Amino acid sequence: MDREYKRRNFVTTFTRGDIFSKLSYVFCGLANIRYGQVVKGLLFLLLEVCYFVFLFTTGVNLFRGLVTLGEHEQGMGYNEALGIYEMQAGDNSMIILLTGVVAIVVTICFVAVWLFAISSGENARFNHDNGHHVNNFIEDVKSLTNENIHFLLLAIPVVGILIFTFTPLIYMILMAFTSYDNEHQPPGHLFDWVALDNFKTLLLSSEKLSQTFWPVLGWTFIWGIFATFSCYFGGMILAMIINSKGIEFKKFWRTIFVVTMGIPAFISLKVVGTMLGEKGIFNVLIQKWGWTASAVPFLTQTTYARVSVILVNFWIGVPVTMLMVSGILMNIPAELYESARIDGASPFVIFRKITFPYMLFVTTPYLIANLIGNFNNFSAIYFLTGGGPMTLDYYKGAGKTDLLVTWLYKLTADSNDYNLAATIGILIFIISATFTLITFQRSGSMKNEEGFQ
Amino acid sequence: MNNKTVIGLKTEYLLKAFVAVVLSFISLLIPFTSKEAGGKNMISTSIALLSADKTAAVSFFLYLAVVLTVASLILGLVSYFRTGVKIAKAWMFVQIFATFFWTTLLFALKLILEEGGIEDNFLLKSAGIGFWIGLITVYCSLVYIMKLAEVNVGYIVLTILGVMWMFPILWILLTALRAEQGYYVGYFFPKHLTLKNFYDLFHNSAVPFGKWWVNTMIVAVCGCVLNTLIVLGTAFILSRTRFSGRKQFMNILMIIGMFPGFMSMVALYNILKGLGLNQSIGALIVVGAAGAAMGYHITKGYFDTIPKAIDEAAIIDGASRLQIFTRITIPLSKSIIVYQVLGTFLGAWSDYIFPRLLFGDRQSSYTVAVGLFWMTDFRRIDSYYTQFAAGAVVIAVPIVILFIWLQRFYVEGLSGSVKG
Repeated sequence: MDREYKRRNFVTTFTRGDIFSKLSYVFCGLANIRYGQVVKGLLFLLLEVCYFVFLFTTGVNLFRGLVTLGEHEQGMGYNEALGIYEMQAGDNSMIILLTGVVAIVVTICFVAVWLFAISSGENARFNHDNGHHVNNFIEDVKSLTNENIHFLLLAIPVVGILIFTFTPLIYMILMAFTSYDNEHQPPGHLFDWVALDNFKTLLLSSEKLSQTFWPVLGWTFIWGIFATFSCYFGGMILAMIINSKGIEFKKFWRTIFVVTMGIPAFISLKVVGTMLGEKGIFNVLIQKWGWTASAVPFLTQTTYARVSVILVNFWIGVPVTMLMVSGILMNIPAELYESARIDGASPFVIFRKITFPYMLFVTTPYLIANLIGNFNNFSAIYFLTGGGPMTLDYYKGAGKTDLLVTWLYKLTADSNDYNLAATIGILIFIISATFTLITFQRSGSMKNEEGFQ
Repeated sequence: MNNKTVIGLKTEYLLKAFVAVVLSFISLLIPFTSKEAGGKNMISTSIALLSADKTAAVSFFLYLAVVLTVASLILGLVSYFRTGVKIAKAWMFVQIFATFFWTTLLFALKLILEEGGIEDNFLLKSAGIGFWIGLITVYCSLVYIMKLAEVNVGYIVLTILGVMWMFPILWILLTALRAEQGYYVGYFFPKHLTLKNFYDLFHNSAVPFGKWWVNTMIVAVCGCVLNTLIVLGTAFILSRTRFSGRKQFMNILMIIGMFPGFMSMVALYNILKGLGLNQSIGALIVVGAAGAAMGYHITKGYFDTIPKAIDEAAIIDGASRLQIFTRITIPLSKSIIVYQVLGTFLGAWSDYIFPRLLFGDRQSSYTVAVGLFWMTDFRRIDSYYTQFAAGAVVIAVPIVILFIWLQRFYVEGLSGSVKG
C-alpha cells in the first residue's frame, strides 16, 4: 500500500482517499459499510437522511425566517373569503428567531456527525488496508466502557449544555444585533436586524444610555476591586489570627465565622438589607446609643449605599477566604518562619516578606476568578439594594449601585429591552475573557496541567 | 528592675502596660461629659449618679468601669514592684473586665446620662475628651498586659469580630421568636418570646411554606444525585483520559461560562415553555443537571492530583476505563464528592432568580427562596416579617449544622479550587 501517509486530516482524506472515502463526503458512512462496519455506516446514513428531510421540509423556512425575522405585522387585514376586515395574526419575530437558532444548532450537530463519519470511515479503511482488526458494531458499543468512554460519560452533559445553555446563549447573542426593545414587542410588533446599532448607542452616543453605561461600568470595576481585595485581606488576616500560636479553641472560632457561610446568601442578604433600612434595627440602635441624631441613609444615599454593600459583602465573603487560606497557610514551610524569627524579623515583616508573597503566588488564579465573579456578583447587589438608590441621571431602572449584571437583569425583567441586555451581556463577556486571558498567562498550573500527575 | 526576668512573662512590656494603665486612670479625672453638661469627669459623674433619685439600670456599667480601672491601677502598681505570673494573670483579668465595661459605655452612655438627669439629647460625639482617651488607653493597657502575660492578643480581635459576625444572626433568631408582629420595632430584644411564628408558618393558608419546603427538598436531593454524577463523570473524562477535541471541549465550556447566566434565562424560559416544562419543579432539576458539567473545574483539579500510576496498574490488570472510574477514582474522592453534594444542596436552597422567572405566580411550585422573597415584598413585609424570620431559621439551621459537620471536606474542596 503506497497510499499510507502521515498527517491524515479532513482534506487529505478526500484528496488521497479511495473512491469510498471520497463518496462518503456525500453519502455518510459509505466507507464504513465498505470496510465491514455495516450497522455503523447505516446509522450515519440514516442521520444524514433525517437531517436532509428536516432541512427540506422545515429547515429552509426556518433559515429564511432567520434572515427576515418575520414580514407580516399584526394588524387589520381584509379577509377575502368573508369579505370583512379582521384582526390578523402577524409573524412572531421572537419565535422565528428562536426556531431559527434551533435550526442552526441542529445544523451544527449534523456537521459534527458528518465530520465524525468521515474520520470514522477513514479509520475503518486504514485498519482494513493495514490488516488490522476492524471493530464490528458490538465491539464498538463495548468500547464505550473502555477506550471510548468519553462518548459515554460526556453524552448527557453535551446534550444538556447544547439544549439548555448553548441554544439560549446563541439566541441571546443574536438578539444583541436586533431591535427587540420595549417598542418592538412580539407578537404585536416585528423586530429586525440592526447590525451594530445597539453597541453604538450604548458605547458611543451621547444619549442617556451611554451616560448610564459608563458610570455603571466604572462602579462595577470599583466594586469588583474593593469587594475582592477587602475579603481577600480580611480573610487572610482572620485566618492568620485563628491559626496563630496561643489561640485556644480554634475550631470554635472558625465555627463562629463559618455559620454565616452556611446560611443561604439570599437570606442573610435580605435580613441585613431589612436591618439597614431607614427604620431598620441598625438605625434604631445607633440612635438609641447616641451615635447619630437622625437615621443614616445606609441604602438610600449613593455613597453610603456603596460603602454599605462593600461592607456587607465583606461580612459574607471573609469566612470563605478564611477557610480557603487556612488550608494554604499550613502548607507554608515552618522553617521559613523560624529562620526569619531567629534573624529578628517582626511579625509584620514576616507577613510582608514570607506569608504574603507565598499566598499571592498560590492564589493569583483564584484572585482573578474571584474578581470576575465579583464583577458579576448579582446577589450581593440585587438582594441588598436592588440597585438603588434610583437616579434620574440614568436610563430608566438603573440605580447608583447597579452593576452591569443587575442592570442587565432589570433590562430583561422590568423593561423588556432584550437587545440592550444582550449587548451588555456580550460586553461583560469581553471583560471576563480579557481577565481570564491574563490569568492564563500568569498561571503556571493552567498552562501545564500535566505537571502534577 | 527592668532587667528582671520572670519565666512565663515578657517583662519588656511591663513598663508600657503600667504607663497605659496610669494614663487610663488619669482619664478618669479629665472631662468626661459634654461641655453643656459642665464637663464633669468620670468619677464625679458616678458620684452624681449614685446620689440621683432615678438612674438607668445600666448605670452599673459606668461604676464598674471606674472601679475596675482603679483596681487595674492598683494591680499594676503591685505587679510593677513584685512581678509574678499569678499577679500578672489577675491583672489581665481585671483589665479584660475593665475594657469590657468601657466598651459597653459606647452603647449605654446615652441611656445612663439621660436617665440619670445629667444631660438631655446626648450624642456620643459630644462626649468629653476624657472618655475617648480612657477608651483608647484601656485597650492599649489590655494589649500590653496580654503581651506581658504571653497571651495571644488575637483574642481581642476575634471577640470583637465574632460579636459583629453574630449580630445579624442573633437578630434573625430573636425576630423568629418575637411575639410582637411587624417589621419596625424600636428595640433589639423582643418583649415576649413565642414559638407561634413557626406554627403559623406551617398553618397559614396564604403561605404554603410546608409545600415550598418539600419542593425545595425534592430539587435539592435530585440535584445532589444528578449533578454530582454528571460533574464526576465529566471531570473524570477531562482529567484521566485523552482524546482528540478534549482541549477544544474545555475551551468551549470556558467560553460559554464567561457569559453571564442571566443573559440566556429568557430564551431558556421560552425553550422550556416549548417543551411544556414551564412552571414545574422538574424543569428546575433538568436545567440544573444540564448545566452541571460547566462546574467541573474543582473536581478535575482534584482528580488531577490522583497519581496516574494507579490507573495504569489497573489497566494492566485488565480493568476497563469505566471500572477504573467506579472502582478506583470514586472511592478515592470522598472529600470532593461531599464538597459537590454540599454545594449543590446549598445552591438549591438559595437559588432565586431562575425559579422566580420559571414559576411566575404559581405559588404551589415555589421553592423556599422564591417563597420567602415573596413574603418580604414591601407590601407584605410588615405582616410577614416574623414569619419570614422563622422560615429563614427553619432553612438555615439544618444547613448550618450540615455545614459545620462537613466543614473539613468543604475546606479540602475549596483549597483544591485555588490550584486553578
